[in-house]
Amino acid sequence: MNVDQTTLPKKYHDAVLHWQRHHFPDYDLLPQNWERYFPNEPDFCLCAKMELGMGDSIEVGEHQGEHRRETPAELGEEPARHLLAIIRAQASTEFGSIQQHEGTLARAPDDEDRFWVLRVMAEELRHGYQMLHLLVSQDWSGVSGQKAEEMVEEILSMQTGSHVLDAFNLEYDSFVDNVVFAAVIDRVGKYQLSMQRVCSYKPFAQSMPPMLREEAFHLAAGVIPLRRWAQRAAQGNPLITMAAIQRAFNKWLPRGLEMFGHEKGGDSNVRFGFKNMKNAEAQSLYYDECVRMVTDLNQRFLRARFPKLSPAESEATAARLLSERGRYEGVTSEDLVELPDRRFFRRKGEPAFTMVGTRGEPFDDVDAYVRHLAAHLPEPYLHSRDVKQYVEALRQVRAGQLTVEQAMKRMPALRRVGGVCPCSKAVRWVVERPDGAAA
Amino acid sequence: VATLSAAPHIRPLSELDISRIVAIDERLTGVYRPDVWERRVGYYLRRDPEASQVAEVGGSVVGFMLADLRGGEFGLEDTSGWIERFGVDPDFQGRSVGRRLFDAVVGHLKERGATAVRTLVGNDDGDLAAFLRAVGFTNAPLTALELRLAPPPAAAGSAKR
Repeated sequence: MNVDQTTLPKKYHDAVLHWQRHHFPDYDLLPQNWERYFPNEPDFCLCAKMELGMGDSIEVGEHQGEHRRETPAELGEEPARHLLAIIRAQASTEFGSIQQHEGTLARAPDDEDRFWVLRVMAEELRHGYQMLHLLVSQDWSGVSGQKAEEMVEEILSMQTGSHVLDAFNLEYDSFVDNVVFAAVIDRVGKYQLSMQRVCSYKPFAQSMPPMLREEAFHLAAGVIPLRRWAQRAAQGNPLITMAAIQRAFNKWLPRGLEMFGHEKGGDSNVRFGFKNMKNAEAQSLYYDECVRMVTDLNQRFLRARFPKLSPAESEATAARLLSERGRYEGVTSEDLVELPDRRFFRRKGEPAFTMVGTRGEPFDDVDAYVRHLAAHLPEPYLHSRDVKQYVEALRQVRAGQLTVEQAMKRMPALRRVGGVCPCSKAVRWVVERPDGAAA
Repeated sequence: VATLSAAPHIRPLSELDISRIVAIDERLTGVYRPDVWERRVGYYLRRDPEASQVAEVGGSVVGFMLADLRGGEFGLEDTSGWIERFGVDPDFQGRSVGRRLFDAVVGHLKERGATAVRTLVGNDDGDLAAFLRAVGFTNAPLTALELRLAPPPAAAGSAKR
């Protein structure tokens, strides 16, 4: 494993730090507390990391076996345009997740959980930085119609509500969202990075392995606190319940599934050699992995509640509770976490605006479905603009006033559009400064 | 009865392996200690997720080996890999699962520049020592020493209660 580290040209590096000061003020806490929470681990580095020694041949697609492309021009216009959209979306997710995490970071009940998420945020900043490196180190103007400065400006100006993917346009309601987001949405990130490892565009492929190594911890920063919370819930701690975890899964999983793109899509990604799986295949593997995750959480809960149960007895008990909806020593299926049906609360893709409940039950009546959503989503989220707009669109679709395709395009309705840096109405993120001048 | 019809699939550790590692440890030691493994797996995933490997058969983890790369510890200036923990489900022992895990871990550590691999073995753990010698470990020019510390008086008192 050999990694080349590089920093952005000063004006872009400063732009990222400027962005960090506004959107990620807790960043400075990380170096101050690094040794306490991550002793003897290499210091965090805000830089782009390129894996060296990767193969030079394209692994999949219509150019399989040919040399990996090293410039956007070598890709050809259509693939370059397609890849640019992927890089922009990836960059948007990295900066977007920091904006989301920051809102509720300080509410973490445990300092360790807080600093784990803080490290995740810093590494997401590095991933965003990595994507900017890909954008500014090569000439994309032939397909972007923009200068590099303008692309960076556009990405740094996105806010929760104006990001490319829906999952990054939802506010967090509590620290439960920080953790469930890491477990559910970062898991999609892992799939995307893994698929993009084969990318026919070499700089993008080289960016993936270092990001994937960091992503492994991001998933742990979600799953391990969830496991501990399941234990506490089982032991009767009233401050964290399995019901709260369940509702957060119901909020995030539908958005995670949609991050793979339409279930019938993904051909172009494979044809151009950008990814090695189509959308439906990757989404299906992801869903199965999420099933494993909640199965583990339920085991953690049951073993903590009933220490005398053997592993096999515990597994059988969970399976019986979920299939028969029965009761075991005061525990019911409602005390366990279940992954919602993959069609539940969808606004994009094949099941968009179908009314399917958490357990796959169909609904005919919009009001009944809205009541079902209200019973299964986090209470603070119900009062959000996002849910309101989804329900409005759903009503219009069911009344025949809007096609599903039109409704899909409406979501998300951009709440905030990007603008200039908030510290001045005139100053932009990317600015040329004489050497040594403060950013 | 567990069968091993195909070679186990060796892959890097992930956070979803915690449950199976806990289960294997429970079978080996008789003690259920998820909190210990949550902490250890979190630690190894932070440091280098590819340095630790698991063996899967039929989609289920049947063995694990947790390792990382260090340098400058105990006066050992060379970059060395350390294997801290490993375990193989008793139903799958004697089928080269440990050897395959070891090969994958050492391969990664070498790739990262390790010039030696080190570990510690309990004096009473003859099986483990035999396995390690079988894969090539020899006595190191080091002796493991320890000093047992008495607990503070208050803690000692409460422990007795």
